[in-house]
Amino acid sequence: MESSRLKGHARRESDPLRVLIIEDDRDVSAYIRQGLTQAGWNVDVADNGKDGLLLATTESYDALIVDRMLPGVEGLTLIRTLRASDNQTPALILSALGEVDDRVKGLNAGGDDYLVKPFAFSELHARLEALIRRAKSSGGHAETTLALADLEVDLLTREVHRGGSRIDLQPREFQLLEFLLRHQGQVVTRTMLLEGVWNYHFDPQTNVIDVHISRLRSKIDKGFDKPLLHTVRGAGYRLSA
Amino acid sequence: MRLPAIFRTSVFQVTILYVGLFGMSVAALGAFIYVSTVGYLQGQTDEVIEAEFNSAMDQFISGGPRRLAGWISQRAGQQNEERFYYRMVQEGYDDASVGNLPEWPAPGVVDGWIDFRVVITDEGPEPVPVRAFVTDLGTVQARYFLLIGREIRELEQIKGLFRRASILGLGMTMLLALTGGLALAYGAHRHVAALSRTTRRIIAGDLGQRVPVNGHDEHAELAQSVNAMLDQIENLMAGLRHVGDSIAHDLRGPLTRLRTKLEMLATEETPSRQSVEDCLAQADGVLATFNALLRIARVESGAYRKAFATIDLGLIAQDIADLYQATAEDNLVEIRRRIDENAIVFGDRELLAQALTNLLDNALKYTPVGAHIDIEVKRRRDRVVLVVADSGPGIPAEDRERVLQRFARLDASRSKPGNGLGLALVRAVSDQHEGTLALTDNGPGLRVTLTLPAADDSGTEPA
Repeated sequence: MESSRLKGHARRESDPLRVLIIEDDRDVSAYIRQGLTQAGWNVDVADNGKDGLLLATTESYDALIVDRMLPGVEGLTLIRTLRASDNQTPALILSALGEVDDRVKGLNAGGDDYLVKPFAFSELHARLEALIRRAKSSGGHAETTLALADLEVDLLTREVHRGGSRIDLQPREFQLLEFLLRHQGQVVTRTMLLEGVWNYHFDPQTNVIDVHISRLRSKIDKGFDKPLLHTVRGAGYRLSA
Repeated sequence: MRLPAIFRTSVFQVTILYVGLFGMSVAALGAFIYVSTVGYLQGQTDEVIEAEFNSAMDQFISGGPRRLAGWISQRAGQQNEERFYYRMVQEGYDDASVGNLPEWPAPGVVDGWIDFRVVITDEGPEPVPVRAFVTDLGTVQARYFLLIGREIRELEQIKGLFRRASILGLGMTMLLALTGGLALAYGAHRHVAALSRTTRRIIAGDLGQRVPVNGHDEHAELAQSVNAMLDQIENLMAGLRHVGDSIAHDLRGPLTRLRTKLEMLATEETPSRQSVEDCLAQADGVLATFNALLRIARVESGAYRKAFATIDLGLIAQDIADLYQATAEDNLVEIRRRIDENAIVFGDRELLAQALTNLLDNALKYTPVGAHIDIEVKRRRDRVVLVVADSGPGIPAEDRERVLQRFARLDASRSKPGNGLGLALVRAVSDQHEGTLALTDNGPGLRVTLTLPAADDSGTEPA
C-alpha cells in the first residue's frame, strides 16, 4: 500500500481532494489513479481489504472507491463496517461484469453509487465529483430556487427565467435542467442523466439523451449571449458559466 | 452381494410387503375360523361326554360300583355308530374291569380330560382317536376309576381337512401374490431399464435418441416428458453451437477493424486525436456487444428473478415513450400512445424498460419519415398486453422466428447500425416474465406483441 500524504496535516479548502482506491486489480487501480491525479486529486491505493479498512478509518478522505471483490473480504462488508463505526465518507462501489447487477445491495450496504466494469474514466470521474458535491451539500436545507449566472429556476412554481424573460419547458425538460443545475460545474454523463431524470439504470446505447439535451439547449441558450450547457467530448455534458 | 435389479424395484418390495400383510391377515382369519368351528365341535363332543358321565355317576351314586358296572356293560353292548368307550377298573385288579376298552390308556392319569389313540381289533388295524374323561370314583369298599370317552374320528378328519385347506390356500395365495408381484416388477423394471438405456446413450453423445413410448400409463407419460426435455436439450445444444459460431463470426469483424485502425495509428508520427477516438469507438462497439450478450445470458439464467416486484408496465411505457419522443419528433415520426391504467405485472422494472427501449429503437430505425409508431398497453382481466407497432418494411413471416435469436440480421438491415441482439434480449426478458412474444404483420410494418400475466385482479376488461 502506498500513501502520498503526510499524516496529521490539517486540511484547507483549497487542498486537493483526497481519494482512497481499494482495488486489487493493479491495472484498474493504475488506470483510475492516473486519471484522477491528472485531474488534480490526491490518490492513495490499497490492494486488499484489510489495508483499505485501516487506511479508511485512520486517514481522512473525501471519497472512497471500493471494489466488490477483494482478497479476503467483500467490498460491501468493508463499507458496512465503516458505516457501523459512523464513517460517512462517500463511497463509490466498483463491480466486475459477471456478478449480478446488485445496485440495490450495494446502496443498502452503505455505498453511495455503483459502477460496473469496464467503465470509461470520464464516467467514474463525473460520478465521483457528484458524490462529493452531494456529501458536502447534504446540510438538509431545502432550497426553493436553483440558479446559474442569469438562469433562474423556481422549484415551487416550476418557472424558469433567464435574463428576465420566461422560458417554457416541458416537464421532462424541467427535470433535466434541475438535475444539471444541481450538478452545475460538474461533468454529467448520459448514464447519470438516465438515472437521475428517468430513474433507469441501463446504458442508453443510442443518442436518445443527446436529443433531449439539444432541445433543452436550444431553449435556454439560444438567443442568449453566454452558452451555459456545454458538451464535454467523450464524457457527457456540463452546465457552467 | 447385490440382488438382481428386479428384486430391488419398489414395485417388488411393495408387493412383498403387501403379500406379508395379506398373508398375516388371512392367517389370522383362518385361525379365528379354526378356533370357532373346530373349537365348537370339540366343545360339543365334550358336552356329550359330560352328559354320559353324569348318567354314569347317577348309576354309581344310586347303586354303587356293581350297578355302574352293569350299566356300562349294557351301554357298551348297545353301541354301533358314534362309539362311547367305557372302562371301569378296580385298583389293583386289572383283569376285573368293565367296558369296551382293552386297557387303561394313560397309566398314572386318574383325573381330567385325556386324548389318546387305541387299536380296537374288530374295527380295523388303524388306531382310533378318542377323547375321554377319567375320574377317581373314590373309595367305598375299594378304589374305582372310571373312564368315559368318545371316538372323535370325524372331528379329527375335519381338523385335518381344515389344516390342509388352510395351508394349501395360504400357500397358493402367497405364491400367486409373489408371481403377480414379480410380473408387475418386471413390467416396471423394463420401463425403467429402457429409460436408463436411452439416457446412457444420450450421455455418450447420441442426442437424437428418444425413449420408446408404449401405452398411455404414467410410464408413457414419463417417457413423453423425458423426450420433450431431450428435444429441448437438443435445441439448446444446436442453439449454443450456432451462437458460438455467430459470436466468433460477428465479433471478429469489429475487432479486425479495430486492429486495422490501431495498425494505421502505429504508423502515424503523432497519432491524431481523431484516429484514437475512432479506435476507442470501435472498441466501445465491441464491448457493447459483449455487454449485451452477457446481459441476455444473465437474464436467461434467471438471476434477475430474485428481485421481481409488482410494477406498472403502463408507467414504464410512458417513460420510454417520453425518452424517445424527442428523437421521434426529429425524424418527423409520431409516437401514438394508448396506455391503460393498472397494467400491473410481476417483474423487473429495468429489464422491461430495456426490452421496450430495444423495441422502440427498432421501430424508429425502420419507420419512414412522416409515419407513426404505436405503443399500446392493454389491461385485460388476467393479463397485460404490450404492443409496439411500426409502419416500416416489417419482417417476412419466414424470418420472424429467426430474428429472435442472437445475432440474427435480416439481409435488408445489414447496413443499419446494431448488433442483432435487441430482439434476443426482448425474448429473454419475455421468457423470464413468463410472457409470450409474437411478431406479426402490421400491414405494413412489424407488430410486436408481448403478453404478460397480470399480477393483480384489478382488471375489469373481458378476458
